[in-house]
Order: sequence, then C-alpha cells, then structure tokens
Amino acid sequence: MPRLTIDGREIEAKAGQTVMQAARDHGIFIPYFCWHPNLSVPGNCRICVVGVAEKDGGEWVEIACNMPAAEGMVVFTASEKVKARRKATMEFITLNHPVDCGICDKAGECTLQDYHFEYNGAASVSRDAKTHATKHFDLSERIVLDNERCIQCTRCVRFTREISMSNGLGMLDRGDHSIVRPSPDGAFAKDAYSDNVIDLCPVGALLAKDFLHKARVWYLKATPSVCPGCERGCGVNLWHRKDEWKLRSPRQAARNEGIDRVTPIENPAVNGPWVCNKARDLPRLFGRVRATGPLFKGAPAPCEAAVLEARALIAEAKRPVAVVSSWASNEELAAFKAAFGSRFALVAKRDHEPQPGEVVQDDLLIRADKNPNAAGVRAVLGECGTEVPKDADLVLVWGEGFDFRAVPAGAKIVFLNAFLAPENGHADVFLPLSIQTERSGHYTNFAGVTSRFERCFALPPGVLHAEELFGSLVGNGRGA
Amino acid sequence: MPGRQLIMNFEVTPASHTLADYRARGGYETLVKALGMAPADITKEVTASGLLGHGGAAFPVGRKWGVMKPNPGEIHYLCANADEGEPGTFKDRWILEHAPHLLVESMLITSYALGVRHAFVYIRGEFDLPYRRIQGAIDEAYAAGLLGKPVPGSDFALDIVVYRGAGSYVCGEASGLITSIEGRKPYPRNRPPRLTVKGLFQKPTVINNVESLANITGIIRMGAEEFRKVGTAKSPGTQLISISGHIAKPGVYEVEYGYSWAKFLDEDCGGMLHGAKMKCVVPGGISTKVLTRPEIENLTLSHESVNPAGSGLGSGGMIVIAEGTCMVRLLQVLLRFYHHESCGQCTPCREGMGWMHRIIDRIVAGEGVPDDIERLYAISHANDGTTICGMGDAAGFATVGILNKFRDEFEYWIANKRSKMDGRLECRA
Repeated sequence: MPRLTIDGREIEAKAGQTVMQAARDHGIFIPYFCWHPNLSVPGNCRICVVGVAEKDGGEWVEIACNMPAAEGMVVFTASEKVKARRKATMEFITLNHPVDCGICDKAGECTLQDYHFEYNGAASVSRDAKTHATKHFDLSERIVLDNERCIQCTRCVRFTREISMSNGLGMLDRGDHSIVRPSPDGAFAKDAYSDNVIDLCPVGALLAKDFLHKARVWYLKATPSVCPGCERGCGVNLWHRKDEWKLRSPRQAARNEGIDRVTPIENPAVNGPWVCNKARDLPRLFGRVRATGPLFKGAPAPCEAAVLEARALIAEAKRPVAVVSSWASNEELAAFKAAFGSRFALVAKRDHEPQPGEVVQDDLLIRADKNPNAAGVRAVLGECGTEVPKDADLVLVWGEGFDFRAVPAGAKIVFLNAFLAPENGHADVFLPLSIQTERSGHYTNFAGVTSRFERCFALPPGVLHAEELFGSLVGNGRGA
Repeated sequence: MPGRQLIMNFEVTPASHTLADYRARGGYETLVKALGMAPADITKEVTASGLLGHGGAAFPVGRKWGVMKPNPGEIHYLCANADEGEPGTFKDRWILEHAPHLLVESMLITSYALGVRHAFVYIRGEFDLPYRRIQGAIDEAYAAGLLGKPVPGSDFALDIVVYRGAGSYVCGEASGLITSIEGRKPYPRNRPPRLTVKGLFQKPTVINNVESLANITGIIRMGAEEFRKVGTAKSPGTQLISISGHIAKPGVYEVEYGYSWAKFLDEDCGGMLHGAKMKCVVPGGISTKVLTRPEIENLTLSHESVNPAGSGLGSGGMIVIAEGTCMVRLLQVLLRFYHHESCGQCTPCREGMGWMHRIIDRIVAGEGVPDDIERLYAISHANDGTTICGMGDAAGFATVGILNKFRDEFEYWIANKRSKMDGRLECRA
C-alpha cells in the first residue's frame, strides 16, 4: 500500500492504483477528458498533468491517469508548472473547436466549457482559421456526430470496443484531420448500448437526435428513477422541465409533462454507469396515449360510481382471480395485499414481452424478463399461478399484456390499466391508473436489489393511484 | 575512409547479399560460437560492449536487454525496426540491401540471448529492394535450416516474419510499431509499462534498430573488449551515416566514432556541392537541432562531442545545407511533414503540428506577424515532453533549432513579405 502526498495531503493508495485513481478515492480532483473509470487508459488528452517533486527539488510533470502511485511520491495538482501546462493543453484542445456553445446541446454540462473557465479562460491566441470537419454526421438513427466539436478523446471508440463490444466506432485518418467514424459493417447502428457514448462524450460532439435542440439543460431537472424496461432495473435520471421554466404557450403545454431525455445513474450494484438504448426510449414508453377516465363496458362513467361498481363485483364474486402486474411497485403490491389478504386467487403476469428486433438478453445488462418488478411480486405476494382458473367468476386484471381470451365465459372483468387500449372497453369496469412518472415507489430487481423511483409529474385528472384505489375496493355492496 | 569499418567491411557485388557469399565471408560462424555460450553471457557481452542504439535515442542496447528475463516457457518477442522513416536517414536500407544475412544472424543470436522464439522485421512499406533482399535472405536461411527448426547442433529455433508497414512516421516509434504489427492503427502507447515488460501482444518485447542489431554479430565474434577498441570510450563502435543535401558525394558511410566531422564532410564526402559554402548541417535526422559550420568545426562524430553542442547524432541522417538556402522554406517543409505524420492521438502534437504548419504557411504567404515567431516557440515548448511518443518533442527541437539560429530570416520574411534568400532550397552551380 503505497503512501503518497498529494497537495500536502498524505494518502494511502491501493496497490496497483494510478495517481488519478488514488486522488479520486480521496476526493482530490484532477481534471480529465479521455480518462474514464470504466474504460482503458489512453492518456491522449494530456489535461490530467500533475507535478511530481524530484529529489533535486525540481518538478517533473506527467499525466496522472497513467502514473502508478508510488511510495513517498509528492504530487502537486496545481503548481505553477502544472497550471501553465494545462493552459497550453486547453489552448490546443480549443484551437480547432468551433466554440459554438450557443447552439450546442452540451452547453451547461460540458466538460470543455467548465475546464476552459477553470484552466484557461483567455481568448484564442491563434490567428489562423480553424480546421473544418463534418458538422452533422448521422452516426446512426439515434445519434448525430459533430466532428468539429470532437476533441478526439476516443471514449466513444473505447466504449464500443471494451464495454458494448460492437467495435462500431473507430478513428479515421490522422493528425488534426482525424475523425470518429462508424465501422462500415453498420455495427454501431445495431449496438443496443450506443447511446451511452452521448454521456461519455465530454463535449457536444455526440448528441441524441431525440434531444437535439429540444431544451437547454439548465431548464431541466433530473428526477431519479428506475428503468422499467427489464428486470435489471437500471438507475436512470428522467429529465423534464423545471417548474419555473414551464413553457407557457398552450401549443407547447404537452412538453411540460413529458420527459425530455434519460441518462443513467451510476450504480455499481445494478448497472454500473451504463444503460441500454431502451432506457433512452422511455419517453416514448411513458408518452403513449393514456386512458383518462373510467368505463362501464366501454361507456364513460363517473369515477366514484366506477369504484363502487368494481367494489360490488369483487364483494359478490365467489371465486375471484387477480392477474397481478409485474410493473406494480412494491408499495402497490403491499397495498393490494393489505386490502384483500387472500381474497383472490393470484396469477402473475408479464406485462411486457420482448418486442421483435429487441435484444432479449446479453452479458452486460439486458435481461430476458422485460418487466421491472417480477421479483417484487414474488417477494410480496408469494408464488402466484400462471393461468387463470377455469372456474373463476371474476377476473381483476391489473396492468397491460393480458390476453382476455383466458377469461372463463361468464366471468366478470375488472380492468386496471394506464394506457388507452381496445381491451379497456371490454371490461365490466375499467379504471385508469397512474404511471411510474406520476408516483414514487420501489422495484426489486432480479438480483434482489431494491431501487426507488421518484415522482416527476402531478397526477392527471381522472386517473387513480393503484396504491390508494385498493383500499376503496374493499367493502360490501354498492353503498358508500 | 572515415575510420575502421565493422559493417561495410566487404566489397558490394551483385551477389554479396546472398547466403553463399555471406558464408564465404565467415557468415553464421558467430552463431555457432554464440550457441555455445550461455544466453546470459551474450547479454553480458553486449552490455560490456557499450553498444548504443542507432535508432536515434542512443539508448544502451545492453540496458534494454537487461530488463528481459528469459524464462523458458514464457513468450518474448524481438522486433527489428526497419521502418526507417526519419527524413534524411537511409542507412538501415544499406544493411537490408547489402547485408541482410548479417541482420538475420544477429537476430538469431539476439533471440537466443533473450529467449525469443518468434522475431519480426518491421520494414517500411516504401522499401522495395530492401524488402525483397531481407525476405530473400530469410527464405535462404529457412532453406538452409537456420530458421524454422532447431539450428544444427542446438535445440534453439527461431522464426522470423517480415511485416511490411503501410507508411507512417509513427510506425518507427517502438510502441507504434508493435501496435501496427498487432494489426491496429499505430498509435504509440503510454509508458509505463515499458515494452520490455509489456510489448507486442502484451508480452515482453525488445525492439532494436536494424543497425543496432547488425552490430551484435560483430560484438560476439570479436568480443566486447575488441569492439570497444573501435570508436571512443563513450561511443564504442561505428555509426552508419547517410548523408544527403548539398554535398558532393551523398550516400551511406560507415564512420568510426571519434572521427573528425569537418574532415568527414570535406574529404570523405568530397566537400560541398558545386563548391558552395556550408550554412548548417542537420546531424542525425531532421528531429535533431541544426548546427552551423563554425559550431561543428572542432567536433568529432561521437555522442560525447555532439550532444554538448546542443544536438545529437540521432539516427545518422545527415543533411548538409549550403549558404543561400532559405531556412523559412526549409522549416515549412519540415512542419508540413510533421503535420502530415502526426498520428492525432494526443492533443499537443495533433493540434500543435497543424498550428505550426498553418503559421509557417502564413508567414511564407507574406501574412506573418512578428508574434508568430514567439508562437512557434510556445507551441514547440508546449510539445516538449508532453506527448505520448517523441514526435512532439522532435518537431519542437527541429523548429527551435532553426529559429534560434536563423531568426533573422524569419523576421525578414515577416517584415518584407519575401525571403531573404530568394526562397531557394536548391544549391545552384
């Protein structure tokens, strides 16, 4: 365990650590562009230079990311020599950068912007024209590449080689005209994790087409959530407009209640720092057309009457069966159990199945069960059946993905669902539910890790929280 | 003849590169002697000889070898660096063309000393005859049973593969070279780890210049003590110098270390072209700082003599420049080369080379400003020791070397929008 001194603080590094890793572990900041804790060390941006004291009193300047921490080393992260080096490096990095922050989606969360203010702050000293490169290159259907903004840190290239293993990106040409390009076999377009390169990019070179010019990031706030795309339950941040920056035009009102983008939350126990592209598409999943009011056999009904009718049907049933949603949160499942106890025979349901073209399962993150809380259902309600019993006289269907042909003839149907679907009108009573972004709760993933998601938006009118609804469905008859 | 000769010590004939002729000169006899020695003793002998690397950095060969710990069963590699890309340098080409078997025998001895089973010759793609000669020599050695299976009378066997580069300056950098052999873009690698710890295919690898390797046979044949009698105490042996530019007799010369520089130019190389006056000389490839004629007057061709003068013998690619040559245009040529050859991996070189090239282009176009000279200094300084490989430093040395000594030409061009020297690079009769 080498002991070294960084900026006068004596720290103990783990064996085999670099100065960069040791400093980070002890909360000492050293700037970096190309380095990433989960990727290999290319040492190409040269911004992480630190000074190391030499025996003769001099100072030797080298990059921290590739410098093994050694016993007795004395490191300076901000000596005059280091500052001058960093300033020179920043001059180089911004030399051919277009500095078009005004129209760049990365502005506000751009490492280059931050470092420029921190380590250089001066106007360009160059008198020569900047080099030009492709300004808008379609890397895939999802990602657009701006080669002029690229600082050639190769994080994206290394991601596709070391993490997603698609080998979808590479560097073409050399010198200051070298550019990132996808491999000719189209592997990057098929990479199920491709959007991670957008987060990895320290500048605005790689941008999501879905988010392109949608919003300045400082208008948005990130609400921590859990991706319901599969039983991995990756931590995600759902970005939506801050209350004080809500759009006022009625034409744009819908955007106030929509998710603008999704980024991963680093969680070593679940997803590391990555998420797959399905998580990035959550705005589409949550943005589907909603069911906005209760129905009696397809006819709109007042909310109270619908709840009372459902309560009566449940009370009258002799052999009621509940088809439980694996998209329900642990809180909702607990509320269901508290309200009904063992009143229902239970059937577990997979709300979502793999879609055509979707990666079913891989070695990195994606799991075959495309529902977030199947493990939670087992934990809260115990083992459930898989098929609706033939003698059931009432079926309570909770959530999507149920084949109503499995309902025995003559059995009543109470259907709880969040989205507009043809089946909604077939139920004897249909009640609209809230979706994940309108409530908070927990999911338990396949490995038993429970993660919390927070509410982003207010409950739309006419929609019910399942957690509160179940209490009202207990009782006798149609009376209040 | 500039001193004693160790490599160019035979008459070049149309057949002198063949195995038969090489054997007639005593070829592959040293291999038999070496195989009778313990591998560690060979390394000891090479270390004792004080042989310095001939690739440019003059790193002691023995010290490089000493890091390798030959373990039976563990894979080690040897690469001969024949990617002779330093402008002005064409000395390895002579060895590859005329003494390919000397290289093969040396590689056999080196591989035996370092526990290597597979060796590579990385040859630049532009070399045609040298490629055919070295490949021919290796084919001959295979046919003669020297390669591919145990050398007669021992259990040591070696395979040599010739790998042709696709043409890039950084492929001559040791780590770029092995990355290229691995089939990837030749981005140089960060140290640590050293290549002798983790090199080709992540295995300990020794990469030596062709000329360094070619000396091994001689060292083992005559012994370190005998070898040290050639050259000087600090620079033992000889150096192949490829001389070009405004010189009467350009070509490859084997020079014994310690030989007078002025004598070498004036007598051995026949003096200046068309009897011109000498302005300056690039001692060893364009990445070494230029020296003016008065500066070299009393120097000898040895590391201990040239290094204190602020330059180095480098790769032995000497370029002689006559009075009347425009140093601004010369620097423009150099910077265009460095810009073109920067691999683009790390920031200072990637951006700095292009920047310097654009500045010098602007000066030549008559749009320079006085600040540009300071800017060139600043960029050179910012590249000094900050890049992954030595290319950034090299370009900086070359630029600073010319700017220091011929600053007036740059100032003249910036002030008058034209060359002080007619913009000439050629030497007229």
